[in-house]
Amino acid sequence: MTKDAVQGAAEEADQAQSKKGLKKQQKEAEKAAKKAEKQAKLAADTQSTDEDDFAKDRYGVPQMVQSQQKLDRVLVRVQKLTPEKADQLIWVRARVHTSRAKGKQCFLVLRQQQFNVQALVAVGERASKQMVKFAANINKESIVDVEAMVRKVEQKIDSCTQQDVELHIERIFVISQAEPRLPLQLEDCVRPDGEGDEDGRATVNQDTRLDNRVIDLRTTTSQAIFRLQSGVCQLFRDTLTNKGFVEIQTPKIISAASEGGANVFTVSYFKTSAYLAQSPQLYKQMCICADFDKVFCVGPVFRAEDSNTHRHLTEFVGLDIELAFNYHYHEVIESITDTMVQIFKGLRDKFQTEIQTVGKQYPSEPFRFLEPTLRLEYTEGVAMLREAGVDMGDEEDLSTPNEKLLGRLVKEKYDTDFYVLDKYPLAVRPFYTMPDPNDKVCASLNAHTHTTHAHDTIVAFTELVIRLMFPPQKYSNSYDMFMRGEEILSGAQRIHDAQLLTERAIHHNIDLEKIKSYIDSFRYGAPPHGGGGIGLERVCMLYLGLHNVRQVSMFPRDPKRLTP
Amino acid sequence: SLLGKDLGALRDIVINANPARPPLTLLVLHAMLCQRYRVLSSVHVHSSVSGVPAQLLSCLGPRHADSYVRQRFQLGFTLIWKDVSKLQMKFSIQNMCPIEGEANVARFLFRLVAPYPSDPALATLVDSWVDTAFFQLAEGSAKERSAVLRALNGALGRDPWLAGPELSLADIACYCCVLQTGPAASSPANVQRWLKACENLGHFGPANPLLQ
Repeated sequence: MTKDAVQGAAEEADQAQSKKGLKKQQKEAEKAAKKAEKQAKLAADTQSTDEDDFAKDRYGVPQMVQSQQKLDRVLVRVQKLTPEKADQLIWVRARVHTSRAKGKQCFLVLRQQQFNVQALVAVGERASKQMVKFAANINKESIVDVEAMVRKVEQKIDSCTQQDVELHIERIFVISQAEPRLPLQLEDCVRPDGEGDEDGRATVNQDTRLDNRVIDLRTTTSQAIFRLQSGVCQLFRDTLTNKGFVEIQTPKIISAASEGGANVFTVSYFKTSAYLAQSPQLYKQMCICADFDKVFCVGPVFRAEDSNTHRHLTEFVGLDIELAFNYHYHEVIESITDTMVQIFKGLRDKFQTEIQTVGKQYPSEPFRFLEPTLRLEYTEGVAMLREAGVDMGDEEDLSTPNEKLLGRLVKEKYDTDFYVLDKYPLAVRPFYTMPDPNDKVCASLNAHTHTTHAHDTIVAFTELVIRLMFPPQKYSNSYDMFMRGEEILSGAQRIHDAQLLTERAIHHNIDLEKIKSYIDSFRYGAPPHGGGGIGLERVCMLYLGLHNVRQVSMFPRDPKRLTP
Repeated sequence: SLLGKDLGALRDIVINANPARPPLTLLVLHAMLCQRYRVLSSVHVHSSVSGVPAQLLSCLGPRHADSYVRQRFQLGFTLIWKDVSKLQMKFSIQNMCPIEGEANVARFLFRLVAPYPSDPALATLVDSWVDTAFFQLAEGSAKERSAVLRALNGALGRDPWLAGPELSLADIACYCCVLQTGPAASSPANVQRWLKACENLGHFGPANPLLQ
């Protein structure tokens, strides 16, 4: 009985197992059948594609463009797709920004630089089902050639720059196929700060963007930034050329540092070493001595400062100006500030689209300025800071926080984002800076003499004592210019007298041998002159109210980044 | 004093004015300030406006020969043509809120030139004439204006100036507003006599080129 029972149980188990096995087999068979069916269908599909697709010449991936033929085809710019072009059959080359298939239709957003337009492939007499499927499967960022009919739309398309028309695609060819997976999504790159957090969407940090700079540069924001930057350069050139300036090119490999040796890159130069230029300072001055009168220079400058801040780069583009003046270096300040004002006005008038595009992602107040530019003196700046409770010495250099605070105070009082701070303390400027001839202490004493006739001798005596106690040259003919409270230009009247220049160089402990050629340039008649250097990236950053200089440097270089 | 602590730097009075409504009283007061102090005057155009007429750019007179050394001046007078709905003065931003309205700025500037009458009744009278000038003469209807002219005529029948024997801010404000709003010839006799007396003082030169 027990045996039976055991046997029975075993049989049962066997049966159960075989049942299970049967089921499994059945399932597998079903699966295989389905698979076969699918394959057959797919085969049939492809067959039918080959056979029935009436539109097969209207789409596809053509041969790589190796300049086999020169077509007379006119490719219309996306920007030009306006209602005036309605009902015209045109060709466009653009990137596939996004694609969205919906049954018998496929919507594409075609992008060209900062402009985009909606396009549509729909099954009909011009397009087959297969063509729609093909269009839907084109990878994002691929470049396509499209022949399409421009149609007006009834409701504005808010998501595109070309809001009044859409394209009805009749032919679509992939000119360059992008890989299916992008390292980062363009949408994530243009999302305003903070918006991503709320929706739980991805945000892309700066480093990821810079690592994939080529893709990041395709965003509407980047496109606008660098178009505006090009505008700054052009306005700078145009304005100065109109003022009679000559553009010069200077060497970037130099034998001596121009502004103290601490922050220069050393490069090996055959059997000796050389430096990368911190500014074309010495060369533009030599051009003045060579009678070029007014010169400017646009080129790279290098700073080996190991500072990882939002506004420092190790290589940036310097816009440098140097000019001879007649009697007072304010002629130079006026020339430079006028140039800056012309640039601001030019940007305001010609680059409004770009400014607004950037503003969508990085909102900021429009840039405000005065004409003529506001000029304050260093002592006034110090007084404003002291009034605001900052404790600082007369001859102390402005720290970055104080610089920003002063910018805020000036903005509050004068409502300008651009101003000049003049008459810096001599001690904080480079050796070639011209000392200020007006001694502040003695000037104020002189002003009082007429009221105190009785004490004339005492006053004269005090004056003498003060002159002995304090070196007369406390201030200098130097100036900084600020945009939104950050320094963009540093300049000065330069010493054009070889004797005084030598004295100042010795005072700064500079090896005279190394700057011999520089000092020698002033021995044979040198006109009084002054100038300054502007950082292109900083101007763009501050004009647009951006927060990081890397955003306005196409391929930024800083102590931690050498690629791409 | 009214100017606050001396921090050893130029004390700059900043005035934001709309070029559509040039502040004539302030130009007159500016000229008076220049007689009393070493004033560094400058005119700027803010980026919010464009196409400011040349006469407004030179309304503070030619540039001082010493203007390149700001230290040599006691007071700055910086006029900024700007898109503002109300005239605005900013002086010591840490201790003073911005002052709005031409009348109020005029009161401040006048005190730098000459003290207000010490008699409170007289001082109030001056203030009241200043209000009348800016609210009823400058902005009022034709009816209101003629009412003010009648009141002026009455007051000037009793005294040579609006607030007694001495020239005050009341006269300056009313003079500018009367001339700004209509031809002098149509005013009553006492007012006409007073307008002449004002002109003879020579204070109103700077405002004249801007009066029609």
